[in-house]
Amino acid sequence: MRKAYSNKAVIASLVAPGLIFFFFAILVPICLSVYYGFTDFSGLGAASFIGLDNYKFMLHDKDFWISLRNSGLLAIGFVCIQHPLAIIAAVIIDNMQGKAEGFFRCVYFLPNVISVAIIAYLWKFIYDPNFGLLNNIVKIFGGEGHINWLGSGTAIWSVLIVLIWHGFGWGMLIYYTGIKNIDPVLYEAAAIDGADKKKRFLLITLPLMKPVIQVNVTLAVISALKQMETVYLLTNGGPGNETQFMANHLYKQAFSAFKYGYGNSISVVFVIICILATQVLNMIFREKEA
Amino acid sequence: MKKALALALVSAMTLSLVGCGAKTTTTETATTDTAVEATTTENTDSTEAADASTGEPVTLQVFSNLPDRKTGQGLVEQTLFDDYMKENPNVTIEVETLDDEAYKTKFKAYAAGSQMPDLVSVWGQPGFIDEVMDAGLLTELNQDDYKDYGFIQGSLDGFSKDGKLYGLARNTDVMCFYYNQKMFDDNGWTVPTTYDELLALADKINAAGLIPVAMDGGDKWPLDIYVTDLMEKLDGSGVFAKTHDAIANADFSDPSFTKAVDILKDSAKRGLFQKGFETTDYGTAQNLFINAQSAMFYMGSWDMSMAANEDIPAEVRDNIRVFTMPSVEGGKATAANITAWNGGGYSVTESAAHKEEAIKLLNYMFRPEGWTKLAWENGVCMSAQDFSQFATGKETEPQKQFMEIVANATDLSRTPLGDMGSSEFKTVCEDKIQEAAIDKISTQEFYDAIAETCK
Repeated sequence: MRKAYSNKAVIASLVAPGLIFFFFAILVPICLSVYYGFTDFSGLGAASFIGLDNYKFMLHDKDFWISLRNSGLLAIGFVCIQHPLAIIAAVIIDNMQGKAEGFFRCVYFLPNVISVAIIAYLWKFIYDPNFGLLNNIVKIFGGEGHINWLGSGTAIWSVLIVLIWHGFGWGMLIYYTGIKNIDPVLYEAAAIDGADKKKRFLLITLPLMKPVIQVNVTLAVISALKQMETVYLLTNGGPGNETQFMANHLYKQAFSAFKYGYGNSISVVFVIICILATQVLNMIFREKEA
Repeated sequence: MKKALALALVSAMTLSLVGCGAKTTTTETATTDTAVEATTTENTDSTEAADASTGEPVTLQVFSNLPDRKTGQGLVEQTLFDDYMKENPNVTIEVETLDDEAYKTKFKAYAAGSQMPDLVSVWGQPGFIDEVMDAGLLTELNQDDYKDYGFIQGSLDGFSKDGKLYGLARNTDVMCFYYNQKMFDDNGWTVPTTYDELLALADKINAAGLIPVAMDGGDKWPLDIYVTDLMEKLDGSGVFAKTHDAIANADFSDPSFTKAVDILKDSAKRGLFQKGFETTDYGTAQNLFINAQSAMFYMGSWDMSMAANEDIPAEVRDNIRVFTMPSVEGGKATAANITAWNGGGYSVTESAAHKEEAIKLLNYMFRPEGWTKLAWENGVCMSAQDFSQFATGKETEPQKQFMEIVANATDLSRTPLGDMGSSEFKTVCEDKIQEAAIDKISTQEFYDAIAETCK
């Protein structure tokens, strides 16, 4: 049998289905995408090769840079606001024990279970300038209460809050699992040695969580760059293109403006940025480990 | 032995692969078989009469932009399909539906393939149909078939190219202000006849703590229509030709363009629309009006079914009335100049598997007692055909008003600004008019941006 497995024909035939699938479902579309990025394809009719024109256009496309900036802001928001809070929440929940632990774990994770469409509409109503919850709260505190939270100027911050709030549960759950995997013996030993809660958190929990943090932060940055559905439903990038994000901008160019060629060139840049971001993050964490 | 084992493994694997493939090929041949059958029936029955009599089973694929099959236009469409199937038992109609934007995306995907559905929804507006007609995707229709169908003068222009007809218009859309008659009466407000009166009225309504006009600025396209509406009032006629030329020459320097956007900006600044209108979507804007939070609602005649909608509180429902854009100071137009167009419609595709049958279905739908009658009787919309013969006397007030508005109209604006150019033009036009309306960019910047996409 072992000899049969070392026969090249056998190996080839066993690997073939996977390879064929990979080839036609992943590799060919990616290559086509790169190719179309060099054309002015509109989705209908013939595509003509226009070299680097799409990429040159991108350099001057203000909306592209706004969407890149917004995606960057979201990534920063995830790493600097969402994740520190998620770790703290995970530690607190872990310390609760008993029924409260299960209850709060559930409550924090709830937004992730609800469909994105509902989340978007929920927040649309909360933010509404005419009858929204938030404006009514402002009124209670004596404000005029007609602030258009999703309007020009405040929109991007309102959208960021929703996104950070929405993704919070995932981050927290992964950290919580990470904390659960830390051997309790270590905490006992530290307590005997006289370490207080803060010291135990900083010197035991955090260092042992490093691999979890690495994975979580990488996932967060990628998901920030990929963010699409919530924004699409909440503002669709508006007003104007103030709250445009990369994936949504790509979608809009390809499927609303029907500039498939340009949409594909954005997707190529998009993939490159994602790969670069992952690499940079890996380097940062590796240096720390060393 | 080992060789035999290897051989067995390889052949097993290949067989399983072939097995997977074989299944699909059989189904493929099955479908081509039916396709072949269908074409042969078509070939043998080149005359229409024979086609029906043979009774060969035919499955028509319809791709429609009306996903709601239980109310409104979707219901009318489905009713017609059901009736057709009853009358032609050999025909099965399979309907696939998607919302406008998703529809357009999938339409392109279908267009890229070799076979499109037989009957498809189309928009008789340059932004959509020009490209489709140029690509030769639609079948030419015989214009003589429709001589007695009562299509309103000019309603098929958008579906024609070089004197050839490629589709039929489904309805006539008129842009208007819906208003709450009771609210007007209770407060002693009157319907404005000039734009200045409208703005003065808005001040009064704001002072009463209500919203003057509920505007769907989040979807952006109503703002573009508002600009066309104002231009129609400024120019009186020729807005379509003027916009068409402006796009062709990438030159929007004509003063009416500038003035229309200026008026929109001033109106928004003065509080004609609700706070945050630029982020209010269709449903929310409509709800403001339905819940009597706003006195008026700027929308098209397709929403006239509000007056028959049981879900709307009777106090509002029974008091819905309409008026068209009031005349603008210095404008050349009268009340007979309205912003109206024939947008949606249907075409039979060039690559349709059952072209003859699809055209038969299309003609069946648009015989005067078809779409026109059903749509009017159900208060759904005004068709692009003469619907006055179907007046029942039970029309809702808005229906009667629309009938009068259309009957008295001497000039129609035709396609609104956003739908006049390419898809890219539309996207930019919508983004920028929203920014202009909230005074984030100047009128000049708006026109510079859209002119850029025309080059």
